[in-house]
Amino acid sequence: MTWLRAVLDDMADDAPQVDLTERTIRARERRRRVAAPVVATASVVAVALAATAAVRLLPAEPDAAARPGTVTDLPARGVGPLSHAYATFCRPEDGEAPSGCVNGGWRVVTRDGKTYRVGQALRGGSSGLRTSPLAISRDGRKVAYYDAKAGTFAVRDLTSGAVLLAPTKVPRQWLGSIAQLLLSDDGRFVAFSKAPALKDPAMLFDMRERMVRFLPNDWDPIGLSPDGDTITLAKYAPKTRLQTISHLWRTSTAGNARTVDVTGHYQVGGLGPDGRTVVAVESVKVTGSGCVRSGGALVHLDRETGKVLRRVPVRGLSMTANFVHLRSWAGPQEITALATPFTCNESDDAPASSFDPPYAPFTAYAVNVETGKARKLATYTAQGFFELVLPGFPGTL
Amino acid sequence: MDPNDSFREFMAAHQQSLMRTAYLLTGDAHLAEDLLQSVLIKVLRRWSELAHVASPQAYARKALVNQYISWRRRLVRTAELPSAEPPERAHSSEESTIIRLAMRQALARLPPRQRAVIVLRYYEDLTEHDTAKLLNCSIGTVKSQAHDALARLRALAPELAPKFADMENLEEAHR
Repeated sequence: MTWLRAVLDDMADDAPQVDLTERTIRARERRRRVAAPVVATASVVAVALAATAAVRLLPAEPDAAARPGTVTDLPARGVGPLSHAYATFCRPEDGEAPSGCVNGGWRVVTRDGKTYRVGQALRGGSSGLRTSPLAISRDGRKVAYYDAKAGTFAVRDLTSGAVLLAPTKVPRQWLGSIAQLLLSDDGRFVAFSKAPALKDPAMLFDMRERMVRFLPNDWDPIGLSPDGDTITLAKYAPKTRLQTISHLWRTSTAGNARTVDVTGHYQVGGLGPDGRTVVAVESVKVTGSGCVRSGGALVHLDRETGKVLRRVPVRGLSMTANFVHLRSWAGPQEITALATPFTCNESDDAPASSFDPPYAPFTAYAVNVETGKARKLATYTAQGFFELVLPGFPGTL
Repeated sequence: MDPNDSFREFMAAHQQSLMRTAYLLTGDAHLAEDLLQSVLIKVLRRWSELAHVASPQAYARKALVNQYISWRRRLVRTAELPSAEPPERAHSSEESTIIRLAMRQALARLPPRQRAVIVLRYYEDLTEHDTAKLLNCSIGTVKSQAHDALARLRALAPELAPKFADMENLEEAHR
């Protein structure tokens, strides 16, 4: 067998040299959170939420599954501002996939309820692990995605149909397993990062001037100054850290970077409209299990020192009954919190490997960062926090 | 101590070997990554139990092979078989390159269980008994699958026939 063994061994030398350790841990945590509504769907809380979605909110958030035949490809131009986007995986372990489901595809939904497939965007992998990132500008009028045909990122103006491509090609394998995009309000800048941190870099693109700056990888972009010259990033493993890089376009190679450690584990939201405020939700381990739940307060962090400035208890949104992720700011003093019912059931916490997560309700709240008061905005249906994109900061893990 | 630390230790020791097996099973770098990633999530899900057994890597290998067979069935149904070419190498002799490419193309045309048997028996060096246990089948099935797989490889890659003939002669001599 020496000959055959030697040939197979030689072939195996072409195996990818990739470290999947942190990616696995993060994907596992991500699936655990995604799977939480599987059990909760049967609970009174979830039934109440589902009823709310169906009766009061669905007119603004059409459920594609309930409206077969209404989904078409994104028109070349003349599309109104977006309410949200969601990824579709077509073999949910429970319930039905949307009509006309394209596995790993993205759909965008306009504020007036029209749903379109984004056929240009790269489709996520059949395992549901290799995601294709997508971001929507805060005004809902531009969308950034990885253009499968062009082999790089694109920003599309939905009204005019104008498409700007990034100045360099980005090989698909650079997308990693968990890719993040952050689109500036005017659609000029696109920041891209992914996990795990391989040799290939994260990047910031100036789509208008066709320039690129490299960024540190495995850091999630959470805020970009209007001129694209300062970026704020967050990192969660092995501990929470914040990094600010300034003077990105004033020197020929790199800017000034400042990194701070945060004591404790937090999931941060998008950078505040003042360009300085960072608000987060604490990640709290549930005693006696491997589960993590959200803390009960909004936590103000100092971007310069990493210190906790203050904690504001949230009212009007149960932080213990829900798992909560922060997204963009909904106003000068309100941040969007995306919530889904929380359960901790280790034996049921991962979907069968050959199936995709079920479609489940996610409810958005605007939470006042000074008073903690929450008000409900809308309920969406998606297969996970990161399969649902709202305008602005698309969230981090 | 972070509960994931022992998993990290396991990964440091066994990840690359599992990736090599995944690559031989799929023949595609991206699919190998996806396959292994999917299996590792299952492994991590059961880590509290597996961390105390003698060989979590044996569980991982078994899950890898069974997941691969399951995926191949799905992929065949949806016509998503990969067509990726192997990466180019800076240093490779002409003969070894020809052999590698011929074998790669022939392996791609084997049914999933036959391919798995080839990888387990001739790359992992598992016994027929261990291969049967891993694939949940009889030793007789492993023998017939291996025989059929080798015959098919020989037919699919006639340029490798002398090599297979030498191999069979060697096996005969050992009996």
